[in-house]
Amino acid sequence: MDTKYYTTWEEYLAEHPELEGKPEQAIAPKIVKYEDAMFTFIMDLLL
Amino acid sequence: MIDLQALTQAVGDLDEKTIMTMIEDFVATNPSGEDAQKIVFACQQGMGIVGELFEKNEYYVGDLIFAGELLSKTIDLLKPVLNDVATEKVGSIVIGTVQGDLHDIGKNIFGSMAEAAGFDVYELGVDVSPSAFVEKVKEVKPQIVGMSGVLTLAIDSMKETVKAITEAGLRDSVKIIIGGNPVNEDACKQIGADAFTTNAAEGLKTCQGWVS
Amino acid sequence: MTDAIARTNERNQLFKDLFSGKTPKRVPISNPATQDFAIQYAGLDLAECQWDLTKLEPVYDKFCQDFYTDTYPGGSIRIPSHYQILGSTPIVMSSSGFMQHPDVVGMLAEEYDEFIASPYDCIVETILPRLYTEFNGPPGKVAMALAKAMKAQADDLASLGAIRAKMNAKYGFAGMVGALTEAPFDFMSDFLRSFKGISGDVRRYPDKVAAACEAVLPLMIKKGTLPNPSMLGYTFIPLHMAPYLREKDFAALYWPTFKKMVETLAGMGQSVQLFVEQDWMRYLDYLYELPENTIMRFEYGDPKIIKEKLGKKHIISGLYPVTLLQTGTKQQCVDKAKELLDILAPGGRYWWQADKSIIHLDINGPVVENLRAVLDYVHENGTY
Repeated sequence: MDTKYYTTWEEYLAEHPELEGKPEQAIAPKIVKYEDAMFTFIMDLLL
Repeated sequence: MIDLQALTQAVGDLDEKTIMTMIEDFVATNPSGEDAQKIVFACQQGMGIVGELFEKNEYYVGDLIFAGELLSKTIDLLKPVLNDVATEKVGSIVIGTVQGDLHDIGKNIFGSMAEAAGFDVYELGVDVSPSAFVEKVKEVKPQIVGMSGVLTLAIDSMKETVKAITEAGLRDSVKIIIGGNPVNEDACKQIGADAFTTNAAEGLKTCQGWVS
Repeated sequence: MTDAIARTNERNQLFKDLFSGKTPKRVPISNPATQDFAIQYAGLDLAECQWDLTKLEPVYDKFCQDFYTDTYPGGSIRIPSHYQILGSTPIVMSSSGFMQHPDVVGMLAEEYDEFIASPYDCIVETILPRLYTEFNGPPGKVAMALAKAMKAQADDLASLGAIRAKMNAKYGFAGMVGALTEAPFDFMSDFLRSFKGISGDVRRYPDKVAAACEAVLPLMIKKGTLPNPSMLGYTFIPLHMAPYLREKDFAALYWPTFKKMVETLAGMGQSVQLFVEQDWMRYLDYLYELPENTIMRFEYGDPKIIKEKLGKKHIISGLYPVTLLQTGTKQQCVDKAKELLDILAPGGRYWWQADKSIIHLDINGPVVENLRAVLDYVHENGTY
């Protein structure tokens, strides 16, 4: 998706070097979960 | 004077560019009201073609909506030159989407087609209470009341509205037509309407039959 | 194992068989009446219950108890709180307490290029502020409105989810998950361009309509993706605009991206249920082309022709006319159910649902009794 309002984990990680070396397997699902939750919420407003 | 037959055909074809060019050129000649009236008539005949193509399943509802939009654009352009002519109306009709229902697409299609056919259309909007229908009927004394709805609950609201019109002693002075997704012959009988339709063009024909 | 768990397992098996094209033990049934109906059936106030969801537990309990169904009768529901908080214009509560969708314009014709360049940016920056008043104003206020709305909806969904879990534990419904999406053309029509707007666009700028459908396709696929494609459930896609188009417009503008969407979702291994609204009889050959075992709930059409053309490849549902429940006798209602069962059940691939949802209840009318008779009849007579 070409947009400034949805960020994949790879893009997010690249923008947040402070996460380097932190437990990615725990952080990534959480960050992605809320990215997706916002996407679903927004789209549901138009369905 | 423009080629009226060509205009009628362009309306039938829903050829927006041709229609608009013809009307704009016409208005630029500073024409008389009588001539403008002829243009309106040619457009109405074009809408007749649209209705026929709809019945033949060559046009669909989307095309009717577009036709309605083209026609109101046309009338807007003609208004300044139509001013001094009294237009002859074929009849009057009060329409609205009944209480509890907010769907208005079918009603709007019917309204614009009825207007195009020369009816005075009094539009009450959506979620219209039985008493609002009654008030309007008292005020404008139409020949026809059109009730529209998409939800199944519309059937009950239509029944209530007919009841209210009857109780106000107005039932014998109007014909009532119902339209929309949930209506059928059984529903029509239960509601106490005179006719039902799920097709705006067909509904218009029924109304034309009533006032002719 | 409790009775309820055994029933859930049995019902899950019915749907697993159905969705994979095997003939299940009997025809599965979904009650077409909705939460709105259930609230009225319980004699409670529609608006109040939709705001105070704690009132709904006894409502659902009575509803599940009194009407036979194999799936939880909760459906996809528009809950008012977050719409209110966001200042919604496309979804509003009518005087009768039902949430409805007036025809609105979220995107102007001159915004097609902006939309095509990035649909999601255009949605966030242009469309939502036009449709939802609270998306306008100082950034801090907008952020807070959005946070409140999301929290409200999450709370509401959690309340409904808790009730659903209790009912499932008590009544043993099939455990199904769902995702909601739309055909790209319908998405462009419903909240963005409006019925009137799209009808003009189809003639004025068909190329832009086609490009917009292509651009929004990945969003619609993402929206329709289940959390895990192997779960029992389906993507629900209500189909809207096709019956109002000429076939050449349908073929050029509606069908290509819709077909790609269904193929992509099915390709991930998940089921797709189409709600085929209005009259699609002239498009049956198109529907045939969709991936095997696409579930098609029809609102309208000749059941014999539908079964003959589609019934060997796809799963047929719907067609039972709910208006008959309002106007017919009990015997007429049951006869109609039998007629459809005789036509649609042979060979499997049939799921009993009605042609529409029932949202309104006239408490003095015959609907309750007729609906119960029909559901019981199909339950008892739908065995293979």
